[in-house]
Order: sequence, then C-alpha cells, then structure tokens
Amino acid sequence: MIVRADDISRVFAMPAGPVVAVRNVSLGIGPGDYVAISGPSGCGKSTLLHMLGCVDTPSSGTLLFDQHDVSCMSDYARSLVRLRHIGFVFQRFFLLPMLTAWENVELPQAEAGVPRSERRARTGELLAYVGLASRADHRPSQLSGGEMQRVAIARALANRPRLVLADEPTGELDRSTGQQIAALLDRINADGTALVIVTHDSALAEHARRLLTMRDGRVEEEGGR
Amino acid sequence: MNALAYAWRSLVRQPARAVLGVLGVAAVGALLFDMLLLSEGLVLSMRDLLDRTGYDIRVTAGDPGRDAGPLIDEAAAVAAAVSAQPSVRSAITVRLADARLAGASSAVRPRRAFLQGIGGEGGRPWTRRRGRDPMGTLEVVLNDEGVRALGVEIGSEVTVSVSSCSGNEEAPPPVTFRVVGVVTFPFDSPDDITAGLTAAGLADACGTDDHGVAHAVMVASRGDAARAAADISTLRPDLRVLTTDEALGAFQEQGFSYFRQISTVLTTVTVSFALLLIAVLLTVSVNQRLGEIAALRALGFSRRRVVADVLCESALTVGIGGGLSLPLGALLAVWLDSILKRMPEIPTELHFFVYHSDALLVHVSLLAATALLAALYPMATVARLPIAATLRNEVVS
Repeated sequence: MIVRADDISRVFAMPAGPVVAVRNVSLGIGPGDYVAISGPSGCGKSTLLHMLGCVDTPSSGTLLFDQHDVSCMSDYARSLVRLRHIGFVFQRFFLLPMLTAWENVELPQAEAGVPRSERRARTGELLAYVGLASRADHRPSQLSGGEMQRVAIARALANRPRLVLADEPTGELDRSTGQQIAALLDRINADGTALVIVTHDSALAEHARRLLTMRDGRVEEEGGR
Repeated sequence: MNALAYAWRSLVRQPARAVLGVLGVAAVGALLFDMLLLSEGLVLSMRDLLDRTGYDIRVTAGDPGRDAGPLIDEAAAVAAAVSAQPSVRSAITVRLADARLAGASSAVRPRRAFLQGIGGEGGRPWTRRRGRDPMGTLEVVLNDEGVRALGVEIGSEVTVSVSSCSGNEEAPPPVTFRVVGVVTFPFDSPDDITAGLTAAGLADACGTDDHGVAHAVMVASRGDAARAAADISTLRPDLRVLTTDEALGAFQEQGFSYFRQISTVLTTVTVSFALLLIAVLLTVSVNQRLGEIAALRALGFSRRRVVADVLCESALTVGIGGGLSLPLGALLAVWLDSILKRMPEIPTELHFFVYHSDALLVHVSLLAATALLAALYPMATVARLPIAATLRNEVVS
C-alpha cells in the first residue's frame, strides 16, 4: 500500500465555528490503483486529495504513507515525500510562466538533486511521452490549455512518482482536450503509476477502476468497474 | 535551477517591476554612498591638507581663534629647543601677516594677500611647483593666483605693503621683493593670493627687526606625534601643543559635527526608503505568485527553498541596484562637492566628499542588511503559506 487512511477527518477552525471538511474516511491506495473521487462542490474532495498527497495533515485518524505516519513527519520530511514519491496535477496547471516547457519539467528534478545528464534525458523522454517534444522551448503563454496540462503532467512525472494526484485535471479544458488528457492519464496508470483524480467530469471518472463518491465530507459510495 | 537562477528568472519575468526596483535602489544607494562619503569627507580632506604641510604638531601661544593668535616670543629659540628633542625631526617658525602686493606694472592694481614668514631649517609648509624657496631676506614665493593677478613671473619684483602685522601698530613702508618661485599653499582658496617669505623677510616687511617672533612653531615628529607633543609640553608647559589628530578632534567636536549629524539623518532616511521600496516590491511580487508558490510547495519544494527564492530576489535587486549606485554616487559626489566648494573661503584643495574604504564597506553592509530586512516580511509570508488553502483559494478565485 502506498498510502493508507484510517478514519481520517479534517476540521478547519472558522470564525463562525469549526467546519468539518472530511469525516471519518478510510481508504487505501496501492501500486497501480486508479481512483476517481467525485461529488458536489464543497464535499471535501480536494481536502481529502491534499491529505493523501501529504500537503495537509488530518485533524484526527491516521494517515500512513509507505507505512510512515504523515502527522508525525516534519514539514521538510513531507516536502521530501512529495518531491520523490508524489506528483501533482492542478486544475490551473500552475506552470511557471517565466520558464519554458522544458525548464518546467526539469525543475522538480533539479530540486531532487538529479544529475544534469539524467535530467536532460528524463525531460526529453517526458515531453515526448506527452507529445510535446516540439514545444520544449515554448513558454506556457505560447501553449494551449491542453498543452499546458500535458506539460504539467510531464512535470508531475518528473521524479518517477509512485502516486500522481490530479485535482480537476480537465476542469479548465474543453471536452475534446479533456478526452486527450484522460487518455494520457490512462497511459500513465497503465505504465504502473497509481492515480487519484478529483473530478466533476463523469466521463473522466469512468476511466478509473474505483470511484468514490463523497458528500458532506464522507465517502458515501465506493464503486468499481 | 538553484534559488539564485530562479530569482533571476522571476525578476526578468516582470522587467518593469525589476527595473523600477533596481533604479530605486541605485538612486537611494547613490545618496547613501554620498552621505557616507560626506560623514568623514571633510575630516579626511582636512587631514590631507594638514599632512601636506609636512608637519604633524602645531605649537602656539594660545587659542588662535579666528585670527592668527598671539605671538610666541623668541619662537626661533623655541623651535631650536624643540628640534633638539629626540622625538622631533624638525621644527620651523611661522609668522603671519596681511599685506597688499603690487607688481611692477602700474596697469595691474595692488591686491590683498596673506604672508607667511618661515624661519628655521625644516621643509617649507608649501608645495614648490616652479623655481626655488626664498633664501634671501628680500625673496618671495607666490601661489598661482598671485602670479596671475599681479602679472608677475619668477624674477619679477613685487612690492609688499604690510597692512596688519602683530608686533607693530604702525603701517610700515613698502618693501620690494623678488619672486623666486611659484608654490601651492594647502589652504588657499581659489581667489586667495598667498606669499611665502623668510622670517627675516617678513620682519623687514613688518618694519621690525625681531626675526625671532612667530605665531606658531610647526613640528615634524619622528613618527610618534603624541610622544613628541608630550615632550614639547614638558619643555614648554606655557605653550599650547596640538597634534594633527587633536586638531582634527577639536574640529570634529565643533563645526564638522554638523556634517556628520546631517549625514547620519540622511543615511537613516535613505536606508529606510530603500527598505520600504524593496519590501513593497517583493511583497507585491510574492502576493501575485501565491498560487505558483503553493504549487511548488505541493510539488515538493521545501519551505527553505521557496524562502531562499524570495531572499535571492531581494539580494539580486539590491545587489544590481547597489552596484549601479557606486558610479552614480561618485558622479553625484563630484557634482555636490563642486556646489559646496562655491561657498566663500573654502580652500581649493578641501573636499566635502572623500572616498574611503570604510564608506564602501558600510555602504555594502547597509545594503546587504536592507536586502535581508526588506525580504523578511515576504519571506515570512512564503514560509507560512498554507499550501492546501492557497491552492483551494486560487481555484475558487
């Protein structure tokens, strides 16, 4: 198991009183899993995703990443876990606008201390993998939305993560481009990387082998295909 | 890509903001540099002028005040006794007088001049440029302004009419001297005419036969001015003995302290301005990029790394601006110096803005501290950035 959540909850202190975003959720993500989390806005999908990605920690319950309790890790240790083992894909891509597609993909590798020659090879390989080898020198402003998301996916894969988390990866894209991204995510999963996606897009959710439906912070339903 | 390279890209990404920051720091840094040059400039320049006389101790009969001060009786004997001290290399007597000088040509009107009559065997307290020093009683050296204004040259005659000479209340008759050299006096103002004579020559011009009196004895120590001054004080406790350091200390406590106070106030203001400028620019820059920074954190960039990015951006802005501020400050200092030197009776060779290595060191240190302090708030913002909440807010917005 890559990540295991046992009865985790996340409570935010708000001026009007505490808000429970995630309630008593238990789930496990293993190697090669493909999980989609759906549900209405504000049901706690993204909060759960952030906890699974070690960006946030649960208010109660136990979250283990590689058998290590995430709540007991320092901020630096969680950063290292994210850098080496987890890839993130965001709805708004969050590519760095002053860097080229190549540099955006190379950046997490440099941060992880990957040698230059390895970085070059890996970056070229990843841009070819997402079909953007010819756009390597383009900046995000010179790319379409779909191309930017493909660069972001290549960036998420840069350090060969075991788990990729995607928060509404097709949220900013048209249907046709969304289908291309869904196909790309299928390939990534088929190549052995575990995937967890949060999405409103039912067409995208159908690609997953497990579908979790959340409401009011709880996993109401778990299905598979 | 390390933090410095990343910061450079962040700066280049928004060239208008970067240029604004760099130019702001350059302007503020130039002012800061000038204030630091000003804080010690006058004292350093005054020391340089005093050093140019070749003497590091001045012995007088009392406080000179605004005029030449009281005469030392038998100053020549005092100089001889002082010269005999083991800590002293040489000593000369200096007697001062006001006079009117006229050249041979009646077309050139007589001009007011200062006279310095020097006695003793030591070097003369001026810099010889042409000709030789006066040796005979009726020989004189003039500064450039004297030669130009009186229309004379080496070998010409000048008539000296002393108008004020301590020791003789009556105006003495004019005496004709021959110009034997052209020299530079350290404390000459641009329009001053100064003439150097022998002590005997000045006594003749004053109409007295007392060659031994003088307003001051100037003493060159053998390297330890404080010890030589102590020896002279022991020898002649009735006289006032001042080393160059003591004279400068006295200057600093009086008139020169104003420049230091002004400099301190303006330095504080300019550094504060630089601090606010950089802090605002960095804070705006960071706030514009919170989503990106949160995404980098989510991708595994450590808190230390994103904080280092901000610090490097601050250091680059201040570093480039600070680098530009040095030549800019030097040019500004030359300009401001020329304005201040237009004040009356300021010696030509006196400067208000003088380069010294301490100024550069303090300048660099203050700018480095500014870069660090200015980055504190944006660094704290980045360090405390809640990743999940920021990512959520970016999507909602």
